[in-house]
Amino acid sequence: MTGRWSAMLRDAQFWVPIAVLVGGLLVLVWIR
Amino acid sequence: MDPLAPSPLDPSRLRRLQLAGVACGFTAGAWLGAAEAPTKMVVLGLSPVVISLAMVVGVFLARWSLPALLRGTTAIAADVRQAPHLVVWAILAGCLWAVANTLTIYAIKDIGLSVAFPLWNANSLLGILWGAVFFNELRGASWSRVVAVLGGAAVMCAGATLLAVASAAQAPAGHAARGVAAALAAGVLWGTMYIPYRKAYLTGMNPLAFVTFFTVGELGMMSALALADRGGATALLAELSGARDVLFWLLLGGFVWVVGDLFQQYAAKYVGISRGIPLSNTNQLWGLVWGLLVFGELRGGAGATYAQVIGGSLLMALGAALIALASATGAEHRRWQEAAAREGQRYGIDPAVVRAGLAGEGAAGPARRRTWLDWALVTGATAVFVGLGLVARVPDLRLGWGWVAGLAVAMLALLGGTGVLLWRTTRFN
Repeated sequence: MTGRWSAMLRDAQFWVPIAVLVGGLLVLVWIR
Repeated sequence: MDPLAPSPLDPSRLRRLQLAGVACGFTAGAWLGAAEAPTKMVVLGLSPVVISLAMVVGVFLARWSLPALLRGTTAIAADVRQAPHLVVWAILAGCLWAVANTLTIYAIKDIGLSVAFPLWNANSLLGILWGAVFFNELRGASWSRVVAVLGGAAVMCAGATLLAVASAAQAPAGHAARGVAAALAAGVLWGTMYIPYRKAYLTGMNPLAFVTFFTVGELGMMSALALADRGGATALLAELSGARDVLFWLLLGGFVWVVGDLFQQYAAKYVGISRGIPLSNTNQLWGLVWGLLVFGELRGGAGATYAQVIGGSLLMALGAALIALASATGAEHRRWQEAAAREGQRYGIDPAVVRAGLAGEGAAGPARRRTWLDWALVTGATAVFVGLGLVARVPDLRLGWGWVAGLAVAMLALLGGTGVLLWRTTRFN
């Protein structure tokens, strides 16, 4: 894995939208 | 003084960029608000998820053809080579948009527009939080500007609430808890979607490059959600095929939406997400104007409803004006430059590219011409629209055609004026 991609995985800001997306999908599954 | 610190931007250049960003925010509001109008031509009982999917197909076509026309795929590919990791961020943002949009459909069904809209419209407050925490927005700004942005966003939320209450024909009986959860989740998703936007633009990516990959996530996620909702590809295709005489209107709505969204992207780039999101949220005002004047909504309504509309509109206009007048100064912009330099360092991007991006300039390089691929994309998208337009059915609706013409002229004037300003200031960088 090159530096940029590993930097992205270590970037805390990357995991905020990921967590929010997973949360949003869970809400969608719950309400349907 | 730190010799590695980015040099401050010339104050007059900064003012021009801020003006272009604010103009983009207002123009985004006008076009995003008008995007709903073509979808109102669709009166048959299509599933809301399928309506969303059809709009997203229009969005996809527009997001590949407009950037190809304005800048060319060669320039977009060059942008991506500078920071290929941003493709992942763009796709992620597209997925966030699609899930949020689907959640709003269920929220409206369960708790009605008047309750749901203010809940997800709080996305602008979350955007301000992310902008300040992650990207140094509002840092270094005077207290009066911070108060103006926060107060303006709060006043706009209050205005949006009044407009939503007035717009709601009736509150449907549904599942309140689920509806509230869906609306709040949509707001969180849409507020968080701006993290990838700002990340990309601080790192020097061109908005026209970002949106082409954003839409891959958008269409992919929306297709997956529609397949799950309809119970498979066969059922979904059958519903789409049965609706082919109205697909044109839905795709047209998606196209108009993309024009607004392009301006929204430039607003996020040049005034930041803390100011860009509330300014483009003026779309609700424009949506209401279309509803009232063109589609004759609220006709014969109670006096209280009109009072809510007038009060809500004034509040939204006041909030937007407060934010527009509180643009970033040199001190705040230097904090943006620091955030950009930090991003560039973290991802190993050429500092010259990062600096040029934030200053609204293109990275140095030879002029790029349009290729056969650009013309193929533009021709293909046009052919789809023309083809669907030929089989489209014009519904028997009483419309205020004079107002359609007036609003279209106003939108085109905003498009032309802001487009020229943006071109002269940034060359669409």
